[in-house]
Amino acid sequence: MARVNDPELTKTRLHTVVEEMYDRIVKGEPPTMTLPVRTKNNIGFDRKLGVYKYGKKRSTRDATSLGSAKNLLRALHVVEFIEEMIEAGKSSTLREMYYISEGWGLGKFGSQNESNNLAEDLEVVTSCLREDFKLRPEEDGARMIGNITVNELNRRGQWMTINARDDVGDSGYGVPYNVEIEKIELKEHDVNFLMAIETGGMFDRLIENGFDEDYKCGLIHLKGQPARSTRRIIKRMNEEWDLPVVVFLDGDPWSFRIFASIAYGAIKTAHISEYLATPSATYLGITADDILAYDLPADELSKKDIEALNAELSDPRFADGWWQDQINMMLEVGKKAEQQSLAKYGLDFVTDTYLPEKLGEMGLA
Amino acid sequence: MSGIAKKMASNQKQIAISEFFEKNKHFLGFDSLQRSIITAVKEAVDNSLDACEEARILPEIKIKISKVDSKKDILELVAEDNGPGIPQRSIEKVFGQLLFGSRFHAIRQSRGQQGIGITGVVMYSQLTTGKPTNVVSKVASEPTAVSVNIGLDTRKNKAVKSDQDRIIWETDEMALKLHGLKVTTRMKAKYQRGRQSVYQYLRMTSIVNPHAEITFVDPDGEKHHWPRVTERLPRKVDAIKPHPHGIELGQLQRMCRESKDSRLTVFLRQNFSGVSMRAAKELCEASELSITTKPKSMKPDHIRALLEAFQGERLVGGKPIKLLSPPTNCLSPIEEMLIKKGLSKTIDSKFVSTMTRAPTVSHGNPFQVEVGLIFGEGMAADKHVEILRFANRVPLMYQQGGCLLTKAIESVDWRQYGLEQAGGKGVPKGPAAILVHLASTNVQFTSEAKEALSDNEFVFEESRKAMLEMGRGLRKHLEKKKKMAKTREKFELINDILPAIAEKSASILERPVPELAGSITRIMSAVICNESTTWNRETKETDVSITLFNYTSRARSYSILVNWPEKSGAVMTANERGGRKETMGIWGWKIETLDPGQKAEINYSLSNLEKGDWTETEVFFRGSQDVIGATKLDEKMLEEIRNQEKILAEAVVEVGEEENPETQYEPAGVVEGDTNQTTLFGGDN
Repeated sequence: MARVNDPELTKTRLHTVVEEMYDRIVKGEPPTMTLPVRTKNNIGFDRKLGVYKYGKKRSTRDATSLGSAKNLLRALHVVEFIEEMIEAGKSSTLREMYYISEGWGLGKFGSQNESNNLAEDLEVVTSCLREDFKLRPEEDGARMIGNITVNELNRRGQWMTINARDDVGDSGYGVPYNVEIEKIELKEHDVNFLMAIETGGMFDRLIENGFDEDYKCGLIHLKGQPARSTRRIIKRMNEEWDLPVVVFLDGDPWSFRIFASIAYGAIKTAHISEYLATPSATYLGITADDILAYDLPADELSKKDIEALNAELSDPRFADGWWQDQINMMLEVGKKAEQQSLAKYGLDFVTDTYLPEKLGEMGLA
Repeated sequence: MSGIAKKMASNQKQIAISEFFEKNKHFLGFDSLQRSIITAVKEAVDNSLDACEEARILPEIKIKISKVDSKKDILELVAEDNGPGIPQRSIEKVFGQLLFGSRFHAIRQSRGQQGIGITGVVMYSQLTTGKPTNVVSKVASEPTAVSVNIGLDTRKNKAVKSDQDRIIWETDEMALKLHGLKVTTRMKAKYQRGRQSVYQYLRMTSIVNPHAEITFVDPDGEKHHWPRVTERLPRKVDAIKPHPHGIELGQLQRMCRESKDSRLTVFLRQNFSGVSMRAAKELCEASELSITTKPKSMKPDHIRALLEAFQGERLVGGKPIKLLSPPTNCLSPIEEMLIKKGLSKTIDSKFVSTMTRAPTVSHGNPFQVEVGLIFGEGMAADKHVEILRFANRVPLMYQQGGCLLTKAIESVDWRQYGLEQAGGKGVPKGPAAILVHLASTNVQFTSEAKEALSDNEFVFEESRKAMLEMGRGLRKHLEKKKKMAKTREKFELINDILPAIAEKSASILERPVPELAGSITRIMSAVICNESTTWNRETKETDVSITLFNYTSRARSYSILVNWPEKSGAVMTANERGGRKETMGIWGWKIETLDPGQKAEINYSLSNLEKGDWTETEVFFRGSQDVIGATKLDEKMLEEIRNQEKILAEAVVEVGEEENPETQYEPAGVVEGDTNQTTLFGGDN
């Protein structure tokens, strides 16, 4: 479980980053920042944790080019900003930090992507979490519906009990950005499994058809590439309640990556994969063979899709035989299909036929 | 003659004039309603510019076009200048007479080579509106101006004056007009915008006449203004006599007929250029004519024989007769710096490269090609470049594709100079405009319309060469820009970012700010040159500053050289480091030792230049370690410049220009500066 560090330890670790730069200048050399390589070439399976983590490859960012020198300066500004927040007992969103950087002169961010990446860089080098840095994401978490009860500490400091079937409207329970134990307690449930769903349209279809009650399951809307808190709450429910997790996505190369980030760990957050990944999660569909087996309306793969599939072939997370087959099959067929293409056979086809068949194969229905 | 007969005769005359116009409207420039107004403006402006040049007045030209009746396409044109004006008695001649073939003996570069001049405008106006043209003229010597209406008597086919009056002519500012001419005329015409428009004609005119101030009010009431950017009038051109190589039979016949000379040798020496006494005798011998032949009495066969001798078809001693080249001081190029200014004032862009070739001769006709290229933002990058063609400072606006000057542009592979061009042929694409100007005593056009130059291998080759040279300038500029951007980045890194990193890290760790010198040397590991050329508003001089930084771990030694507009009359001042002249337009300094982490500065100013004349200084170096921001000196190039200088100096002596070549081409000498500099270049220390 993700442990939030003591503020003093966070500061000390951040200082090591600053010291590296300072000491290099004192030695008459260009300042540097050393960090693990954050690409698919540097992630490997950690047997002990059962997830993918960064390997030993490290890269050095040195101030010999304008771009990387600016990056180092930004890192210093961020460190200073974090220290100020720790001392003042405040926190800010990543987006707020991006706007605050407007006042950092030469150290200002060019885009929010840069500031997000740098926050992750600092997490990786210091082995701290962004919660330690008092930085929050502004991305919203998932929606959840089903007979699941949690206790949540609200902003007034009171614990409130929420049932994600009886106490919520049609939009479900909104998962907050912090789902750690000091904020969320998993109280009780009466479901047999959890189903993570990519698109809002499919999530709403299953609710309208009463799928959660008929099949006694919790439904979670991922909203595309799932936020950290979404992956974290899935992981907690999976571990603490021992619930199986199935993942229902579109049938395209990008969905494969969403699944990998849920099950194996995302490349960008491989430093905390053990907190976010659910290794036992299963990919339900749409699979490449579903497209053929159900004769789904499909689109041609774009050039980008094909590039993505080829990249996945050499991604260690997709190294097993089943994935290699799926990827190669999709390349051969040259097609991709959306979840909602199942509507070809009527609105109830997904809940009456497709899902029961697929869950049956998994022994869940 | 009965009344009816008279009327018929008059009808006939009327028909004659109309027919004359109808048949010749192509070369008169009135073949379409759109073109008619351009031609009218062109005739008026050409006259004004020529008159001002002759009278050595800096021209101020105002053109106003308004719609009188848009349904019937009637426009009114008012053209006003500050020229010398026309004396009352000459107005009729200038505006009402057809001036065909009056310039056979005067060979010189002049604008008025097209159409029949302003008389054509008066005729066109009369024929399309039935109204006369009003002329107001004031000469400096008279207190009042004359206002007169000029029409055409269609019966007698000549100008008629009416409503002549003396008036007091006041300017818009209520001051008395000292001298000038104002023409007001109405005609059937259509105003249009675009590449072939009055606006474009005036814009182009202003580019090649940087000494003129031009204002234009278009039919929508919008005012366009092209300011004067130089006080320097074009050089007064001398008329030269025809050269035997460039003469045609008809012309030679006419010259003989009109000659009053009693001897052929005298005729040849006095009426032709390039004919020495010896050559005159040899020409007589070759054409089997006595030197005492009276030109006026020469028979067609004799004239033909003489022409054959001219053209080298008749020999003396088995060889064609040696003739001197015609003088080339009859040409008035715009010159590089003024092309630059003209382009810069009309097109808002940063970089201009220009090239004026030395005058040369084709078939006995002196000519000179100059080109200019303006490049940069403010122009569309994905379109064909704009082509600006000129012949003797007159814009050519039609028939671009068929023109020799366009063909010369198309023949250059612009890709190597940083422009886009499909297959390395054709008009290139990019954010640029290319100017080509041909100055010549005899401009050859493809047709009477006089809008496209006909093929001539000499002119083509000269144009091509000029453009290749100019292209090299563009390439250098683009390369330099790239290098400069990189250098700027490095400077930002060590001057701004690195100190900020040092300070911030020190303040977070609560430690002293560390020394940066070591890191800087490691980051840069190069010698860097920074150049700035800026206009100093207070001193009215161009300040140049060159700084050389040694960011390597070893001491360095260099010679630094710069280009400067010496040819254009610039004077170098406040050059405290001294240095010495390398060759024409190249100055150099020796920097003996530049220790690691140190910098050396060279500062000087250029006077006798105007703002915008000199905006970029090229820096060269001699030395082993590469210098970022400077070019390694190509010794061959320096040698070439020295050679050209020599040729030019000799040419000046030969032609015998008024300027004293001694002072203009001072041999290189050592200038003692503040530095302990005694030896200079060439490693002779």
